[in-house]
Amino acid sequence: MNDYVITVATFAAIQAIVACGLNVIVGYAGQISLGHAAFFGIGAYASALLTTKAGLSFWAALPMVVAVTGLVGLLLGIPSLRVRDDFLAITTIGINFIVEAVFLYVPFFGGALGIGNIPRVTLFHMRMKGPSYLILCLIFLALVLLLCRWFTRSWAGLACFALREEETAAGGMGISPVRFKLLAFVAGTATAGLGGALYAHFMRFISPGDFSFPVSVMLLSMIVLGGMGTQWGPVLGAMILVSLPELFRPLMEIRFLLYTAILLVMIRFQPAGLLGEASLARRVLAKAAPRGTGR
Amino acid sequence: MKEILLRVRDLAKHFGGLRAVDGVSFDLHVKEILGLLGPNGAGKTVCFNVISGVYAPTSGEIYFAGRRTDGLPPYRMAALGLGRTFQIVKPFANLTVLDNVIVSCGVDRYKNLLRSFGSWTDARTRHRAMELLEKVGLERDADRKAGLLPLGHLRRLEIARALAVGHRLLLLDECFSGLREEEIVPLMDLVSAIRRDGLSVLLIEHNMRVAMKLSDRIVVLNHGRKIAEGSPADIVRDPVVIEAYLGRGGHGHAA
Repeated sequence: MNDYVITVATFAAIQAIVACGLNVIVGYAGQISLGHAAFFGIGAYASALLTTKAGLSFWAALPMVVAVTGLVGLLLGIPSLRVRDDFLAITTIGINFIVEAVFLYVPFFGGALGIGNIPRVTLFHMRMKGPSYLILCLIFLALVLLLCRWFTRSWAGLACFALREEETAAGGMGISPVRFKLLAFVAGTATAGLGGALYAHFMRFISPGDFSFPVSVMLLSMIVLGGMGTQWGPVLGAMILVSLPELFRPLMEIRFLLYTAILLVMIRFQPAGLLGEASLARRVLAKAAPRGTGR
Repeated sequence: MKEILLRVRDLAKHFGGLRAVDGVSFDLHVKEILGLLGPNGAGKTVCFNVISGVYAPTSGEIYFAGRRTDGLPPYRMAALGLGRTFQIVKPFANLTVLDNVIVSCGVDRYKNLLRSFGSWTDARTRHRAMELLEKVGLERDADRKAGLLPLGHLRRLEIARALAVGHRLLLLDECFSGLREEEIVPLMDLVSAIRRDGLSVLLIEHNMRVAMKLSDRIVVLNHGRKIAEGSPADIVRDPVVIEAYLGRGGHGHAA
């Protein structure tokens, strides 16, 4: 594998982690979020600041980064999750713009120039770059996927599914809508924080534009494309949406047209996503192995 | 003197100028089926929604299982052992029928965040949900998507879910409406069986025959007020009730 492929693969793995977090919020709990890049950014900035200004190592900073991002998610989730559907979409877009503006206009965050000289991650005195950093990202992705799997099998996860399907009925079964929506929001934003930290130490230079609204749209597209609420959908979506623009690079500006066309065809023919309910992939899998293709 | 499970006192719920429920009081005893009747717009469902916590009352008091519960949210009422069905069925459409019931089996888990991190995929939970499905005769549909079921099945699914939650009281909101004749009789047998198991039931019913046959006592509402209360036999002969349903001086015949 050459450096270019490894770079694209690493970026895809990081995006997959962030998309998995968004999947908990949108796919499991049914709460639309168009501001997920804000939390991706908060994680990246937190890790960048803790390792450059406070001089911590990546590993010492990481638990704090995840906690801080989750905490901001909690604080922003409390007012946001009071509204639903279109209003929640607009509110989360607002969160994205505000967070981006804070990074841009508060001098502490480096303004438009962002933060540079972010150190590489070291493990056992080995500086991780190229293939080893890709492996690190993949290990974290595997961890996130295991946590997602565990969550879908917990009562808390089931409560989130119930809220997604029918909130009034869920309330009648002892499920507090506020508690479990917030839980999903905190879990999803904390995961975005993890992805942000990995991103900061991968790029080693971050600026507010990396976490703008179009990034949120891209993240949402990933889980819609891959299959909302499925285990592997966000991973597949991230792989496709990160690699497609790279594959189409020789086509120059036409690549965005092609990209749009693919998304439209998807929405028309596989509305539940590539791995979603009644999708082509699911049907083929079900034929190949009639049992055991469950969740 | 029978033990009182649910006590409603001077309950009122106003929406702006509309007095949907306007000073209603009644008691529901343990192991009793109490029918809540009244013409369309009498305030029955609003009354249900206030008792189950969907709306906070404008005024009045509700006591359930020995404590004051008016203003508590629905999930707290569920945790106290109040299960309900909805007039307009509300299945978790994309979950299987079995998983729909499993959600309601977790009512004690959701109270405590730590306990809600346990797994719901164990055999015991599945077995319990399956038993509930057998009780309402839906065991054959366990693995189907709930959204694909016909209305009669959905009504029974709602009862199965309410049974898992309501170990004290069931609120059944027109669970017979929209059903075919041959579906009504087995469902009536089911409700009678539920009471024999020791549960109390508050029943909203439009179908007079069903309400008369199932209820021990009946409370009749009209325009948000209680206009009559008594045994089914007394209620059908009550001139005030007949007037509410058929109008003054009507010569029509009751449904």
